[in-house]
Amino acid sequence: MSDHHRITKRCPVCFSRDIDVLLTQRDGIWACVKCSFNGTEAEIRGMYRDIQKKYHGMIERYTLEDQRKL
Amino acid sequence: MMKLNIFHRTDPGRYEIFKRQQDLVHSLGMKTSVFLHYFDLFQDHIVADALAYQAAFGDEIGLALNRLEGPGMDDISRGLEHIWLFDEEQKRQLMEMALSKFKDVFGRMPTAVTSYHFDSSALRILKEIAPEVEGIVGGCFEEGVRVFHGCNHSWYLFNEGMPWGPWFPAKGHTLRPAAETEDWSGVVAVPHLARDMSLSFEGRNDFWASHPPNVIRGMGNDASFCPYDLNLIDQYRMQADFNGHTYYNTFVGTQWLTWNHNSEYPPEVAWELYTKQLTYFKQLKEQGELEDLTLTEYARWHKESRPFAEPEVYLAKEMLYQSHKHYFWHIDTDLRVLIDANQGGSIGDLRAYIGRVEKATGPDTPSRENGAYPYLIQSQYRTGYPNHSFDGSRTTLKLVKNGEEVDLCSTPTKVASVERSSAGSRMVLTPAKAVFPDGSTVEVETTYTIEPGGKITIKRSLSGDTEGILATEYFKGAPGCTEYPIDLHGIQLQVMDATGTQEMDYLYRRRRLEVDAPECVAAVVPQVNARVMMSAAKGAKPSSGLAREGNLFEPYFVLELTYDTNTSTEFSTCLIITA
Repeated sequence: MSDHHRITKRCPVCFSRDIDVLLTQRDGIWACVKCSFNGTEAEIRGMYRDIQKKYHGMIERYTLEDQRKL
Repeated sequence: MMKLNIFHRTDPGRYEIFKRQQDLVHSLGMKTSVFLHYFDLFQDHIVADALAYQAAFGDEIGLALNRLEGPGMDDISRGLEHIWLFDEEQKRQLMEMALSKFKDVFGRMPTAVTSYHFDSSALRILKEIAPEVEGIVGGCFEEGVRVFHGCNHSWYLFNEGMPWGPWFPAKGHTLRPAAETEDWSGVVAVPHLARDMSLSFEGRNDFWASHPPNVIRGMGNDASFCPYDLNLIDQYRMQADFNGHTYYNTFVGTQWLTWNHNSEYPPEVAWELYTKQLTYFKQLKEQGELEDLTLTEYARWHKESRPFAEPEVYLAKEMLYQSHKHYFWHIDTDLRVLIDANQGGSIGDLRAYIGRVEKATGPDTPSRENGAYPYLIQSQYRTGYPNHSFDGSRTTLKLVKNGEEVDLCSTPTKVASVERSSAGSRMVLTPAKAVFPDGSTVEVETTYTIEPGGKITIKRSLSGDTEGILATEYFKGAPGCTEYPIDLHGIQLQVMDATGTQEMDYLYRRRRLEVDAPECVAAVVPQVNARVMMSAAKGAKPSSGLAREGNLFEPYFVLELTYDTNTSTEFSTCLIITA
């Protein structure tokens, strides 16, 4: 965990529009310079999970044979 | 058989990462192509290591033009890293500096050179200085508008409209596959990464590619669990079913294997996924299903094995969203076509290479930063199927019965079969089912035949409640390179029947030319040096035809041929693109 401070975070609102924008942190709150989003790390992590919900196949392995039949 | 290139770039600032990448590949019994930047050539230990890798593992040493820094170079490049964005004089100065230093260090010119993109003047100058160059990394498939947006409008790499696999770059436009020797720039180009042929059309091409840390950037992983990386390899392997072989590469820079601002994971996750990808390559190699080559070795194989005019296809099946949509891509020296099976077989992207549009980039050119090969149809940038105001660029079949219309774009299909040969490709879709408000249904089976020379034949076979159906083949196009419209003045619309030709210059007045028993409908589009023409194939008799201009709120042109299915329920239309 000593490197935890090195983990950056992208704005979940901008990312949901396919735009990478780094958040800045002040007093435990992360804020976006491009949009009005601000929130805690826990909220941001949850929003990342929400973004990933659209990837229904994210944990699915499609082998060559699977794909031929797809 | 899959041909694989593994590319690495040296990096003095993160040299331990580069060495670890090299060690990893070698421990798996494979080789790499190592690309040194100009500034690396001043580092004795980097040069010595590269030579040692070459001697021990058969790695190739090439030149990276991805970063243009170093002694004497900084005063010219002044922080600009991208060779295609300089003027010709500076391109020559920079490449002379880098190539002469490479020759000083290694006693020879490189045979492999990388950049994210080479425009026509950069490639011409490269070959003038170093005729020995055989292979280049020459472009990023469908990188442009979406990555520009995605990088907060700050990534100026516009090279859409290019081949997804290796190609012979043409002299006049390096993203167009050369038609023959005279047309050829003299190198074999490979794309920078293999891209997801569904998702790089629908969105950012960088997220969904043969680059595990980029998939992390796209949030397509669950920590170090990311089957997508292997799924993509297998989707490319599947293309050998149609093309006889397939190509793949991976090119992960050192910055992606350490703390990276586009990842919310520590470097261990990127390393683990990169290792899994490479380990899968090793497994395929051991099974005799993959051959790892250097870039120069691949370029030589390509020259020996691939004729200029050989068409290639790609059947994409979307996996990450589990939509299982099918997209069919065809490329030859005259056309690149995308058929969107999910929209009833609509053409979603069309590049008329037959127009031989020439382009260089740089501040001394009218194109400036945009190196894309222009489209005639781009349904993602230019609306496609209507969902707000008007529709945009696309093709479709419109079925009308008792005044009610069903647009085939609203009826999802799948690719049922694909055949490809030197003579072209043939793709059959599963039947599209059109349901009318009165409950009657019509099934439409569509067959595409795409032949060199810019000829697309669309055969429709209708069955079911076809009585009273009027079926209209519909082409809506607009030339362009980005999501914004360009000036359509200069386009000329034409309709022709047995009595002659009517013509109309495009003036944005939404006027139309109509004709009964048409011989053809057409548009001359000087912006892409091409004429688009629709005519009935032999035996089919359209009852009417139309050519229409748009206006500034609908900046497109429309071509239509209408068939009365009381005459025949099977008809074929030729969409012919000529220069």
